[in-house]
Amino acid sequence: MSQAIVRLLVSRLLQAGLVAWAVGTLTFLLTRALPGDMAYRIAAGRYGYENVDRDAAQAVASELNLDSHPLSAYAHWLGDLLQGKLGHSLVSGEPVWQELGHQLGHSLDLALTAVVLALLIGPPLGMLAGLRRGKALDKASLVAATGLRSLPPFVIGLLLIMLFSVTLGWLPAAGHGTAAHLWLPALSLALGLAAVSARVSRNAMARVASAPFYAFAMTKGLSPQRTFWRHGLRNVGVPVVAYLGVQLIYLIEGVVVVESLFAWPGIGHALVHALVARDVPMVQGTALAMGLLFVALNTLVDLACLAIDPRRRPA
Amino acid sequence: MTSLHVDRLSVSANDQVLVAPFSFSLQAGQCLTLLGETGAGKSLLAQAIMGTLPAGLTAQGQITLDGEDLMALTLPRRRAIWGRRLILLPQEPWHALDPLMTAERQIQETYRHAAGHDTERAVRYARQDLVSLGLDTAGARLPGELSGGMAQRVAFAAARAAGGKMVIADEPTKGLDSARRDDVVAMLKQTLAEGGTLLTITHDVEVARQLGGRIMILRNGDCIEAGPADQVLQQPISEYGRRLVAAEPSRWAPRRQYSRPDAPPVIEATQLSKARGGRTLFSEISLSIAPGEIVGISGPSGCGKSTLGDLLLGLSRPDRGQVRRAPGVAARRFQKLYQDPPAAFAPHWTLDTLLKDLIRQHRLDATRIPPLMDRLGLANVLLDRYPSDVSGGELQRFALLRALLLDPVMLFADEPTSRLDPITQQETMALLIELARERECAVMLVSHDEALIRHSCDRCLSLGNAEPHRPVPSTASSLPA
Repeated sequence: MSQAIVRLLVSRLLQAGLVAWAVGTLTFLLTRALPGDMAYRIAAGRYGYENVDRDAAQAVASELNLDSHPLSAYAHWLGDLLQGKLGHSLVSGEPVWQELGHQLGHSLDLALTAVVLALLIGPPLGMLAGLRRGKALDKASLVAATGLRSLPPFVIGLLLIMLFSVTLGWLPAAGHGTAAHLWLPALSLALGLAAVSARVSRNAMARVASAPFYAFAMTKGLSPQRTFWRHGLRNVGVPVVAYLGVQLIYLIEGVVVVESLFAWPGIGHALVHALVARDVPMVQGTALAMGLLFVALNTLVDLACLAIDPRRRPA
Repeated sequence: MTSLHVDRLSVSANDQVLVAPFSFSLQAGQCLTLLGETGAGKSLLAQAIMGTLPAGLTAQGQITLDGEDLMALTLPRRRAIWGRRLILLPQEPWHALDPLMTAERQIQETYRHAAGHDTERAVRYARQDLVSLGLDTAGARLPGELSGGMAQRVAFAAARAAGGKMVIADEPTKGLDSARRDDVVAMLKQTLAEGGTLLTITHDVEVARQLGGRIMILRNGDCIEAGPADQVLQQPISEYGRRLVAAEPSRWAPRRQYSRPDAPPVIEATQLSKARGGRTLFSEISLSIAPGEIVGISGPSGCGKSTLGDLLLGLSRPDRGQVRRAPGVAARRFQKLYQDPPAAFAPHWTLDTLLKDLIRQHRLDATRIPPLMDRLGLANVLLDRYPSDVSGGELQRFALLRALLLDPVMLFADEPTSRLDPITQQETMALLIELARERECAVMLVSHDEALIRHSCDRCLSLGNAEPHRPVPSTASSLPA
């Protein structure tokens, strides 16, 4: 393993620690700042709204130490976090780790499928448009990309459901279990990602194709196809992959919304449910998992950048 | 055997003729140099012969390579000739190499994919090339890690690996200092010695002289004069040819001696050091410049010439050392003249607007403009034009006008004529020197052209070696020979 990779992994590891602390602290503060009586909400989550009364709320409050001083609660909570104790879900009673384990797997399935789909749709179209600047495909892809990127993922998701589930009846509208269930949520995320990737690829391709080295590769005797594979692809790949890192924010945001829309049992879906039920350990756990997922995906993007751009590797 | 015949070749865009019909013929082993000012359509000729004219431009006439009519070929058939029979050497080698591929592989791939050798041979030949170019250790480096000279050699090897004998070199020495220019000429001559045929396009009279062979002088797309190199360069017949040869800096009239030892310096620097990106650009430079004095700065590219200017003008701070400007002189009277005139003007405003903005900004007297324009040979009609619609020489004179309006006591001129053709360069330099003397404005002239510095400066400061620099006394005898 080269020095550059080690340095990258160490810095990302430190970052992961910082993210864990920052996300944890923020969720701690925000869950406390939420309106409504926390003990009532938790009790309702556990026993159902009809069965909640003052005593039940009181019992929950004393069980969870909800009345203690905020600072000591924070210190207590931080100590738990340092030991990796995320606690148990207040609703299901299962350990948070175990719940996260299931959900994270589903979310990763969704996120990675979305990224792969986006890379299969965006860059090829973008590069084609970049090689034929000003032609019909270039213009059409500009309109499509602008349109898709300006729609939030849930609108794209709804449109996809209307088209593929309601009208055509090809794919299930929600739920999970079979591979068919993955297509629509993954596509909802992928289209927005692909839109930006297509534009980045298009501009990168246009720049590379008009670069002197591209012309030189052909005048020294390489065919246009070979020039593209040997000198176009990698040079276009550098900004496209680097920009993917920026787009991860869109991906993580999208995961929350799209999972809720399609009832996909992942982290984002769990986060929304935990918030409604004031399931504080689950809120903290899911937020933490998403923060760390962001760091992990960023690390992958960085490794990919190192792999395709030799200039980043010190000799 | 290689032969190239070009018969009444012209290039036009929408019925507008850019290069007038033009003919020449070149037999195997011969060398022809097309000499002329920039923008005279020389590069279009090279592109027309290759078949790489940009969209919108068309070529008419006949181009025959080894008896085959190139104009009748389809684009894929023409591509099949590239590298294998017809070679175009790249202009700026750094840009001609893929930044993400190692030097060795860029040579290898020509052997493998253009010449069609198997991988094992391609690897061996590329190695041999590197060794014979003295680059055996540089094969694994990326272009960004090569020096300009190394990149040049790698690009030459990559271009020639497919075995073509007819070589076209389009401005192969653009922006190079004289040592690297001579390297390139040596490589071109090597091509000839190995049985190649050479068509060189250049604005540099010295390149034409060193290559020998035949010369054609072009102007505005027309051939003005043609003949053997010695004859054309020794005794040009045409008026333009004479001016072109005389415009070479080494032939400029000797400059008048100038010295004002008693005057207090306009700027003084002591023990300046500056590093960038962990690399020391220069250290312990001391200098002192008298009013009206012209000091040249020379050195290889990347040695910190422009950075020194930034320090002196107060645009950035030295790591160590001190810059002292003459007391009581406003900072704006230390001015800079840029290398690329179009880049130094806002493109979307007329020159008139730009000048008026300057007048307003510094509360200057607008009545000073007409006499200055007169003095700089700038016609009034130019004021209504945009910077892109006047010539490079005119625009550089506008830049000079803009600086002069601020009554500069020092002008840092960063390669002010390197983008201009030789005749315009000579005129611009003469004007700059004359005005500097007249107004007692000190000039620091950065150039990669040693002859130009020798003929226009009172003394020269050369950067780029490890020795600490001492100011040279301002006498003509101290100039480098």
